Amino acid sequence: MRRRKLRLPPYAKSFRFRLYLIFTVTIALLTAAFVTFYVLTELNAFRSNMEREGKLLATVLAQNARLPLFAENREALDILADGTARYPSVLSVSIVDREGRLLAQQVKSQTVPGDVIDMRVPVSSPSGVLSPESALLGQPQGNEQRVIGEVRLKLDTSAARERLVALVAASLAIGILFWILVSLLCYQILKRVTNSFNLLLGGIEKIGNGTLSARVGLDGDDELGRAANAINAMAASLELRELENQALQDELLRAMRLEVQEEKKQVMARLIQTNKMTSLGLLLSSMAHEINNPNASIRFSGHMIGKMLADALPLLDGVWQEEGEFYLGGVPYQKARLVLTENAGKIVENSERIAQVVQGLRDYGVGGGGQLRQRLEINGAVSAALSVLACQMKRDVQLHTSLGTSIPAVAGSQQQIEQVLINLILNAMQSCAGRSGEVHLSTRHDVAKGEVVVEVRDNGVGITPETKERLFEPFFSTKLELGGSGLGLYISQFIVSEHGGRLQLDSTLGKGTVATVVLPVAPASVVGMLPAQLGQHAADPLHEVG
Amino acid sequence: MSLLKLLLLVLFTLTPTLALAYDVLLLQSMHDKGYDEAVRGFKRDCRGSVRRIVLADYAELDLTRITREEHPKLIVAVGDRALELAQKQHATPVLYMMALNAKPRGAVGGVSMLLDPGRYLSVFGEMGAERVGVLYDPARSGGYVKRAVAAAARCGVKLVLREVHAPKETPAMLASLKGKVNALWMLPDTTAVSPGSTEAYFLFSQAERVPVVTFADVYLSMGGAVALTIDRYDIGRQVAELAQRVLDGNPPEEGGEPPRRAITRSNDSVVRQLKLNGAVGH
Ligand SMILES: Nc1ncnc2c1ncn2[C@@H]1O[C@H](COP(=O)(O)OP(=O)(O)O)[C@@H](O)[C@H]1O
Ligand SMILES: [Mg+2]
Repeated sequence: MRRRKLRLPPYAKSFRFRLYLIFTVTIALLTAAFVTFYVLTELNAFRSNMEREGKLLATVLAQNARLPLFAENREALDILADGTARYPSVLSVSIVDREGRLLAQQVKSQTVPGDVIDMRVPVSSPSGVLSPESALLGQPQGNEQRVIGEVRLKLDTSAARERLVALVAASLAIGILFWILVSLLCYQILKRVTNSFNLLLGGIEKIGNGTLSARVGLDGDDELGRAANAINAMAASLELRELENQALQDELLRAMRLEVQEEKKQVMARLIQTNKMTSLGLLLSSMAHEINNPNASIRFSGHMIGKMLADALPLLDGVWQEEGEFYLGGVPYQKARLVLTENAGKIVENSERIAQVVQGLRDYGVGGGGQLRQRLEINGAVSAALSVLACQMKRDVQLHTSLGTSIPAVAGSQQQIEQVLINLILNAMQSCAGRSGEVHLSTRHDVAKGEVVVEVRDNGVGITPETKERLFEPFFSTKLELGGSGLGLYISQFIVSEHGGRLQLDSTLGKGTVATVVLPVAPASVVGMLPAQLGQHAADPLHEVG
Repeated sequence: MSLLKLLLLVLFTLTPTLALAYDVLLLQSMHDKGYDEAVRGFKRDCRGSVRRIVLADYAELDLTRITREEHPKLIVAVGDRALELAQKQHATPVLYMMALNAKPRGAVGGVSMLLDPGRYLSVFGEMGAERVGVLYDPARSGGYVKRAVAAAARCGVKLVLREVHAPKETPAMLASLKGKVNALWMLPDTTAVSPGSTEAYFLFSQAERVPVVTFADVYLSMGGAVALTIDRYDIGRQVAELAQRVLDGNPPEEGGEPPRRAITRSNDSVVRQLKLNGAVGH
């Protein structure tokens, strides 16, 4: 079923139309009320006027009829009645005496219209007239009136009806004319007003649609004009705000672009580092292979020499006992015997040491040890780092190690922590370059905070405040010409933060620097589940320097 | 004390006899200003003792008994009713005044309320009115009109007479005088002049431009030109003179005398409008 709804034409919804409707209806109502009021008042006035006129007519007639009535002069009364009946509104006139006898009558029309005014006025003798006797006696004039008859008038009100019709017609005509005039005037005024309104609305819509440069072209200091000014001001400020926004956005975009570039640079740096490391690793592993092969034959040879020497020595001893002193390579046998034994041992020993160092280098270079979640003994990491650094040790730098006991394991990659420590130790040693310095390496467990702390202290040159600000920037180095890459602290910082820890450098210029690595202790349950580090080398007493 | 008591007793026993001794019994119809005026005039000039009885104070007055017992020498009747009553006895002579309608019969004298026609005629003469309209009821004013006609003939004024037998005839009779008179003479005739018809005279006067000469001041205010009025006080005095003559032993003269004094007044504005002789009145 289709629902029928009163459908208004679109113009009926406009403000102008509604206002106009209200105005015209109000004016129409007012005009109607006024016309009604006017007609009613006028009609009443007319009717009362007619009554007054009739009364006057009757009174005059009564006055004139007094003597004829007294004299019962019918002729005179007839003439009087006739004269009165000539008045247009008079329907009939009759004059009766005191006893009600009809003395004169004039009837103009028999047809009795609906509304007839019946007017009766008594005819009385003049007041204050005395009888001759009283007059002679000098009695004062009285004022009693004697009714001697009655005048009856019937008045026609059809004139009133005609007048009413004329009045209504005229009033209606004037009213309608007035209504039309005022409506036209209203329309003009409304048009002007609503034009401004529509202009305002149009402006607002345009601004609302985003054309902020649009303005409401409305002047005048009325409310609408002020509203237009306010809207224009608003649009202007919106426009300004948008321009500002645009500028900010551009700036942001630029900043973001810069940041992306920075990031890219960092990524590049890491790639470079990785690349470097990878090539270094490859180099190291091939080098280890090259070294290991001859080293293995050296060790084998050493062993063989040792074995053969062990077999040969009793023979040579027998010779010495039998033969007495003899020389081997220009050295007396007894002395040569000692050197031989010692050197044979040294060959094997040093060859094994070579093998170990090479193994260490290989682990460091090749180490895929990116795995973070592994069981990590910090002291082990320190030892490994030191063994890598063994060859770098300088005569004039003394390295002191004090490793804490019962330090719990940490979750992390030993490879990476080793790298961090190597970087720190290298920096510390480099800071003491050219003079005799001391580097203290210590580990401890901060139970209260649940942290494992590694401290690398030196008494080097220290760090200037300018440098300090840029310590962790990649490629920032004060030792570029000495082979510094400026990546050491950057990578270390990265690794430590990957482990959930922090790296701090505290320095006093000219006195030295303390680098601290703090790593969170993993909960025992977690640590227990972690696999042991692969390729972990036990602390080698050989590597313990000084 | 006893002396005083005795004196009082003597006084009381004697008073009735003293009170009853009087000469004139004044019989007044009713309390009225006009009557009182005349009575005052009478009393002023009457030398005899007077007892005054106002008929309106009594339901019924036995005049015969009073005259028999009190023996007044004269009865003075004031007003119509008093005159009628006084004429019912014949023992005592009667004088009358202020009686307009009652007919004096037999040996009854007095002063009538009608001025001598000559006075009116002289006024008409002064006005230059040759024909004067008169309305009268022959039953009431026939005698007076007869005298007037005689007097008019003497001074060259013609009276145009119209008889009226009922008050309602007056307007018509007046209408019949149209164009026939130079003046109207209004008589104190109750038939010709009734409250209902009075204004007809003045309407006629106005329409025909003829003056109305009348008998009382009140009519001046209604449009009358000249009024010749009686002087009631003087009438009393006039009657007192007659009474003295009767008391002196002469029988009263039959028929009434006209009042000896008349007051002439005029309505100036009417006189002016009708362009009457300025000498009229005053
Ligand atoms: N222990 C230290 N004492 C003095 N300066 C240091 C120390 N550690 C680092 N620095 C300063 O920090 C800079 C950056 O160090 P790093 O990132 O390891 O790069 P590199 O060692 O290749 O120069 C160094 O150039 C140095 O000036
Ligand atoms: Mg470094």
